[in-house]
Amino acid sequence: MVGRPLEETEVVERAKRGDARAYEELVQTYQGLAFRTAYLVVGNAADAEDAAQEAFVKAYRALGRFRSGEPFRPWLLKIVANEARNRRRSAGRRDALALRAAAAESSGEAAPSPETAALDAERRRVLLAAVETLPDEQRLVVTCRYFLDLSEEETAAVLDVPRGTVKSRASRALDRLRETYG
Amino acid sequence: MAELERDLRALGALLEYPPEPDLVPAVRARLAQRERRWRRPLVLALAAVVLALAVAFAVPPARSAILRFFHLGGITVERVEKLPPVSRRSPVAGLRGPMSLEQARRLAGFPLLLPHLTPRRAYAEEGIVAMLLHVEGVEGPVLFAEFRGEGLGVVKKAIERQTIVEPVRVGNSDGLWLQGAPHVVTYLDARGRARVRTTRLAGNVLAWTRGATTFRLEGALTREQALHIARFVR
Repeated sequence: MVGRPLEETEVVERAKRGDARAYEELVQTYQGLAFRTAYLVVGNAADAEDAAQEAFVKAYRALGRFRSGEPFRPWLLKIVANEARNRRRSAGRRDALALRAAAAESSGEAAPSPETAALDAERRRVLLAAVETLPDEQRLVVTCRYFLDLSEEETAAVLDVPRGTVKSRASRALDRLRETYG
Repeated sequence: MAELERDLRALGALLEYPPEPDLVPAVRARLAQRERRWRRPLVLALAAVVLALAVAFAVPPARSAILRFFHLGGITVERVEKLPPVSRRSPVAGLRGPMSLEQARRLAGFPLLLPHLTPRRAYAEEGIVAMLLHVEGVEGPVLFAEFRGEGLGVVKKAIERQTIVEPVRVGNSDGLWLQGAPHVVTYLDARGRARVRTTRLAGNVLAWTRGATTFRLEGALTREQALHIARFVR
């Protein structure tokens, strides 16, 4: 599911040996996902950026403890989420999740009828609003699993809970969403 | 079940995220700085700052020729052949907030002097406060920032040839006026936990000092508009 290119293991090994260029390559590859993950946890761009930056610095210092051959992504995301959670405590209100302007208006499908487009956009709004009203821990499982498309294992790493907890929270969240979204 | 999960995935693809920052320059600079520090633990904080900044702005040698320095309070302006490649970001990115002025003052840890157009909300970090002013007749927000230099908070700007740098007087204080062409700003706070933030800006800048505080006004301002606002900072 992660689809990790073979050479990544090699890049991580080079970074472990202190090759700064190799590490920059990893930062380049994962900074987008790291920022989005931090953003969904902490809820504002400034703290998310700060958390992601701090996480990359800490991850570099901790590379010695990274077990060779393991997937790098969940390991990194765990550090990112940890930094984001630390900032979440001090951060103020979370920004509401928003849809891209175009997505809020039309379905993006080829020539949808006005009714379909309106319905789709409406359903999207309803679903997003339903996600927003979930309790924090359920919302985070949903955002990790479906919005960021993380695996169960990665979600567990990000939320710092066992996989079983991810499963049960996801199932409770989906039940709840089904009530409002149908 | 499957339908709801599919809809959630589709929704995820349509979410609006804030623009993604380019973290590479900042991470590079911070890692380089740490290594430097580890090798020479007795290096003073300020020296470490300067080293880190030098690394932050490392670009291929032929293009990075430093043409001239200007210093003013906590600001160093460096003229370079070519700006380092960084993305454009909000001038308050990386600071906490928005928060009330009182909260900002407490976080910054020093008394604030304010322009007459002061908004009610500000952004801050230890040693620095920034706010976005709306100046009539000026397009876009104007950044007003003040910070304590003293070798701890440092702001560095890199500019290209086309940028005009002119010494000015603001009341009884020395200042610099920077006009034309985009420039790059790096913030660094070296109080044990150094942070580097780099951003690309397109506005004109007036920087001046008063006592231990350095002020910076930035936006689509003319020199006269900037000087006018600066005169009313108290």
